[in-house]
Amino acid sequence: MPVSIEVNGEAHVLDVEPSRRLLAVLRDDLSLTGTKHGCGEGACGACAVLLDGRPVASCLLPVASADGRAVTTIEGLARDGAALQEAFVAEDALQCGFCTPGQVVSATALLASTPRPSREEIRAAMTGNICRCGAYPKIERAILRASGQETA
Amino acid sequence: MKPRLVKSQREMEGRFEDVWVLVDEEDEVETWPDEAELQVVGSPAPRQDGLVRAGGAARYTVDIQLAGMLHALVLRAPVARCRVTALDLDSARATPGVRAVIGPEGPLTMNGDSPLTAEPAWAGQPVAVIAADTPEAATAGLAALAPTFEVLPPLALEAGLNEQRFTEDPRETVRGDPDAALAGADARVELTCETPAHVQSPLEPHAAVARWEGDSLTAWVSTQGIFDARRELARRFDLAPEQVRVISEYIGGAFGAKQGAGTEALLAAELARTTGRPVRLALGRHEEQVVGGRRSWTRQTVTLGARSDGTLAGIELAAVVDMGVGGWIFPVAEPVLSIYACENVRAMVFPVRTSLRAQNAFRAPGVVEGVTVLEQAMDELAAALGLDPLELRRRNHVDTDQGSGLPYSSKRLLACYDRAAELAGWDGRDALREPHADGLLRGMGCATQIWWGGGGPPAHATVRLDSEARAQVTTGIQDIGTGTLTSARMVAAEELGLPLERVFALGGDTLPNVYSPVSGGSMTTPAVMPAVRSAAGKVRRILLSLAADVLEISADDLELSGGRLRSRDGALDVDVVEVTGKLGNATIDGSGARGPNPEGFRVNTFGCQIAQVAVDPGTGVVRVERVVAVHDVGRIVNPLAASSQAEGGVLQGIGYALSEELVVDPTTGYPVNGHFDDYKVPTIADMPEIVVDFVNVPDANLPNLGAKGLGEPPIVPTAAAIANAFAHATGRRTSAVPLTPARVLEALA
Repeated sequence: MPVSIEVNGEAHVLDVEPSRRLLAVLRDDLSLTGTKHGCGEGACGACAVLLDGRPVASCLLPVASADGRAVTTIEGLARDGAALQEAFVAEDALQCGFCTPGQVVSATALLASTPRPSREEIRAAMTGNICRCGAYPKIERAILRASGQETA
Repeated sequence: MKPRLVKSQREMEGRFEDVWVLVDEEDEVETWPDEAELQVVGSPAPRQDGLVRAGGAARYTVDIQLAGMLHALVLRAPVARCRVTALDLDSARATPGVRAVIGPEGPLTMNGDSPLTAEPAWAGQPVAVIAADTPEAATAGLAALAPTFEVLPPLALEAGLNEQRFTEDPRETVRGDPDAALAGADARVELTCETPAHVQSPLEPHAAVARWEGDSLTAWVSTQGIFDARRELARRFDLAPEQVRVISEYIGGAFGAKQGAGTEALLAAELARTTGRPVRLALGRHEEQVVGGRRSWTRQTVTLGARSDGTLAGIELAAVVDMGVGGWIFPVAEPVLSIYACENVRAMVFPVRTSLRAQNAFRAPGVVEGVTVLEQAMDELAAALGLDPLELRRRNHVDTDQGSGLPYSSKRLLACYDRAAELAGWDGRDALREPHADGLLRGMGCATQIWWGGGGPPAHATVRLDSEARAQVTTGIQDIGTGTLTSARMVAAEELGLPLERVFALGGDTLPNVYSPVSGGSMTTPAVMPAVRSAAGKVRRILLSLAADVLEISADDLELSGGRLRSRDGALDVDVVEVTGKLGNATIDGSGARGPNPEGFRVNTFGCQIAQVAVDPGTGVVRVERVVAVHDVGRIVNPLAASSQAEGGVLQGIGYALSEELVVDPTTGYPVNGHFDDYKVPTIADMPEIVVDFVNVPDANLPNLGAKGLGEPPIVPTAAAIANAFAHATGRRTSAVPLTPARVLEALA
């Protein structure tokens, strides 16, 4: 079944099994490996992408569900301006970095809806993104920094 | 260069071995003095590869995609012990897209024991492996195997203890006369506590990609030890080391779990060899949680006897360790043997064999478990004596390693206590126990940290400076997320007198054949950074000599910093490119080797953490509100990454203290919570305020940098401090860690 998806602003018509997960199509068919497979069960947030601007777990989403919709991955965010990524780097909000694309995607969605989030709002919005290295204190600071707020 | 080979000692997580070390007198540089005004080292620096990682451009092993690459999946034992009674290899081979199937009987070209078995002895042990064109085809092939198993009863822990079913002889370490000391003590406490099986859970699972070109093998492996992996692959496939290239450029976490080649690289290389196509084998999340490894479950009983002044008269430890099917016995007894002054100690460790995979390393293996119980017993002793818990620890301070009798190279633990108490508001801790409007019970507890972290040889580095005055530092470092490559960049920039952006550090590849040790044992900074500095120092000396020629001034009259050459009289001030620009396509090269550690010392790291918790007596939920972490690891190279390491260690310690526990089904021996929704690692919502500080005084007895390792120390005391804070808040202790709501409610009942 052909599936039409806009990925990072580019139109794709893909001939794929409709039940394949969006994550697998992004990584294996489109070579967009910035989006990570952390658990495949929607429990870690490493696979977060934006679907029409809203964060979703791409490891659970059948690709057919994205038909006719716009997907933004970390590669698209990096291309459109890296202010949030730069804040993550400046605050050292990443260690191994494997969860970081998902963190950046979730933070992007947060800042789109809440330009100056409180610490509580940050924690509520980011709680689905596991960082096993434990960069959480600095992830919070990075989001505060990117939204022009005091980090201390 | 005046090379010599000398005998020295190497330490890895408390194991000592004699090694020959290549020593070059020119590698011996003096430690930067305390008062030296360093330009780069000691100032916060973001990671050199930060944007690559944050922008999703970093290629981890699971991201490697090669033309024609096959995808491999493993059939695993669905219970802990069983026998395969049927396996339809032919159907699997006939499945569309399947290119290779290997069963317990092979076929295998590699040497040595097969990683596959028809008689699994542990949960998740590999039985067969399949490689196919797509992951979907591999899944179909796996289903076509249609295995049946005769299920055997798992080896249970308690029965194993009764039957003395050990992986090796129990260990007993005795010093002095602990029986008499405990019998004659003025105060005596005994505490028994269980600690959980704790799963490393790296976000990137164990994974490997293998590609053969003729008789040469390239293996991308998510590993902490590229040289160990190279040696293992060369031995298994009858290759010379130079025929094997192991690449581990980006690693999505490891925490001790990713050693050597692993089964993944062996099987991927085997499948790639027989199919003639590249093969990727990456574990799924559930596989990772079940077979990736774990810190062992323990049950420890600690008995402490003290004189009325609080000094320890005697200590006894009896520790039962659930080893799974084997593995090295981690130093669970080390804390009772070394953390406090005590002449009379007995430590017994009983390594019980069960039906989980062999235990493996997880960040400060053994010592986390030991400290978690000993430090709770210390607080019980403080209560029995009516002493302040920190004061009790101060009274038992020791400046020598009691096992060897050697002095520590440096130890500023007392300063850690003072600073942590100040930052935590320790003096006001009892006010926390007053009733709170929110109905929560609050308390504050402390714990002491000890670990090794002195590093040692062998470790090497090369530095190459080009005509644009850009330097490339080549190491064998596996940067598993600690930021050690950035530290290498900083050390080289400091020594070369170049701005940070002109230096870049490489690692994670065996091809240059520049050896670094495994990224474990908190040894990368203390082992590799001195080699980096020595290599950079040689380049600096050559550069100054060339500058003297070009600028017609004595090299002794020149200073190099910030990318500029200046004469001491101030008359000359030029960009270093004025000199390097004359190199054309030539480069200035230097190599450095880590020298031996000083004889006559033990090198350890120390620290103190203080936790504040809030306990909900209605739900049993414990919340960590604040953790103060103060550690003495010598010189801090990069304060930014160092605070990140400390925060990460504390957060993993919070998981160990409150929520992480691998639970095994007693009827099957198989873990029941091998997923992220039921094995609960901390999230950002669980994060307390974490206050980090370091003593940050270089170890004057450590060569070259005076820096020790920091990867492991911060996780060591966290759970104990939290359990002690819980006891301070409630007056109770749980019989086991983690402090789950069920255990808390039971303790409060």
